[in-house]
Amino acid sequence: MIDADVIPEIPRGVRVHRDTVRNLWVLLAPERVLPLDDTGQAILDRVDGTSSFGQIVTGLAEAYAAPRDQIAADASEFLTSLQARRVLDLKS
Amino acid sequence: MAWSKPTIREIG
Repeated sequence: MIDADVIPEIPRGVRVHRDTVRNLWVLLAPERVLPLDDTGQAILDRVDGTSSFGQIVTGLAEAYAAPRDQIAADASEFLTSLQARRVLDLKS
Repeated sequence: MAWSKPTIREIG
């Protein structure tokens, strides 16, 4: 689980992009694209390089009808997976 | 809104 005070940040060269042809949000990286589902997009929408993981989870818990622990676990797994693909930095 | 576990797939 990501610590609450860790700050996720999308690195230089990677950006969230609206694919108007397919009508979906994607994470665009050099020579790769990661299509985002609604919750993935909601998580990355809150990744601004200044908000901590704890703040992001709090925002998601206010917007979604789900237990905070479940949101934190799912968001942590999602962001860790993006970090492993080198399309997200986790600053501690 | 309903929460669902986010999925990741990666895409020449």
